[in-house]
Amino acid sequence: MLYYKILLYYRIYLKPMMYIPPLNFSPVVSTDVSLYRSGYPMPLNYPFIRDQLHLRTIIHVGDKQDLSPEYAEFLEQGNIQFHNIYMDSCRDDGFKDRMNQILEIVLNVDNYPMLIHSGKGKHRVGTVVGIIRKLLQGWSIAGIYQEYDIFSGGLKGEADLEFITMFETSLFIRKDKIPGFVTSVTT
Amino acid sequence: MSPQDTLSGESISNEVSQEKYHGESNENSDENQILVGQAPAKRIVPPLNFCPVERYLYRSGQPSPVNFPFLLDLNLKTIIWLANEEPQDSLLVFCDRHDIQLQFAAINPDGGEDDNPWDGLTEHSIINALQTIVDQDNYPLLVCCGMGRHRTGTVIGCLRRIMGWNLASVSEEYRRFTGSRGGRILVELLIEAFDTNSVKIDHNRAPPWLLTALEQPE
Repeated sequence: MLYYKILLYYRIYLKPMMYIPPLNFSPVVSTDVSLYRSGYPMPLNYPFIRDQLHLRTIIHVGDKQDLSPEYAEFLEQGNIQFHNIYMDSCRDDGFKDRMNQILEIVLNVDNYPMLIHSGKGKHRVGTVVGIIRKLLQGWSIAGIYQEYDIFSGGLKGEADLEFITMFETSLFIRKDKIPGFVTSVTT
Repeated sequence: MSPQDTLSGESISNEVSQEKYHGESNENSDENQILVGQAPAKRIVPPLNFCPVERYLYRSGQPSPVNFPFLLDLNLKTIIWLANEEPQDSLLVFCDRHDIQLQFAAINPDGGEDDNPWDGLTEHSIINALQTIVDQDNYPLLVCCGMGRHRTGTVIGCLRRIMGWNLASVSEEYRRFTGSRGGRILVELLIEAFDTNSVKIDHNRAPPWLLTALEQPE
């Protein structure tokens, strides 16, 4: 019994706390600016996000509209710009407008470091990242599918992939704010 | 807005006028606006299992010639190749031509008869690779092996341990890249048992993100 108490004491007080990144966390772009992707951040992920990422912007793509008080407080304390973009799936009406909203944020260098998250960091984020890879970086469709697959854990997402492949838009953005990783938009 | 301002320079449609125009203020003059709309005609192909790990640090499977234009965009200075056998000749030539340092981190540098590609990395070769990774001088840097799954995963996993990540998150990341057959328990044990103090980090030469990670939370 005493042994367990000592062990517990050791775990809580002596062992340095460890960083816990959010589910399915990964950099998307890690060059001139930092763009990250993940699932929904939980309070146990806050120290990691606060100390390691120093975010300026978080984009949430999902159907959950209200924030937990903890998350709202965390965003406020970190002085993080939060964009709640409603998205159920890529088949939503008005998806293009919302995607344009996201692209507009992504295409402004002032908004970095940035995290885009959905619920589990699989399908919705996967679709958004796929479109960024295609439109802004000129990745091949095969490469985009593969990346989608890595993060969705082999779950089927044919509709999303089809959607990424077909997606086109027309959006005016400011030339002087384009981040360096965007290679396909030449000024 | 002239058609030359479009991404591809060819297909601009009537849609444009229907879209939201974001020049609400005078500071956004026409010259400062550009149209984003379609994927470029020329595409780049990432290597198998490619993914960014940290700033200017990447992981992947063995790059083949189709991936070379993609690699050029990364401006690599160093590639760590985690295998006993040499990579394809085309990669050797590519590295030579573009002044990329190709570092071999043999799985089992001591040789011996149990030298086969299915073996995990020895601690010695993990430390070797990590010693290169913790030195900013070698960046931008790509870590790769045949498929970009287990050997690359081992090295990145050990790097995450050094960075103070908890083990569950390290395993989650490793398994993400292992494909349909899943992770190997031996790799995860190797990562768990890795002595993070065995890599010597020179704070004057370490990448900034590593230094940030080494500051533990209160």
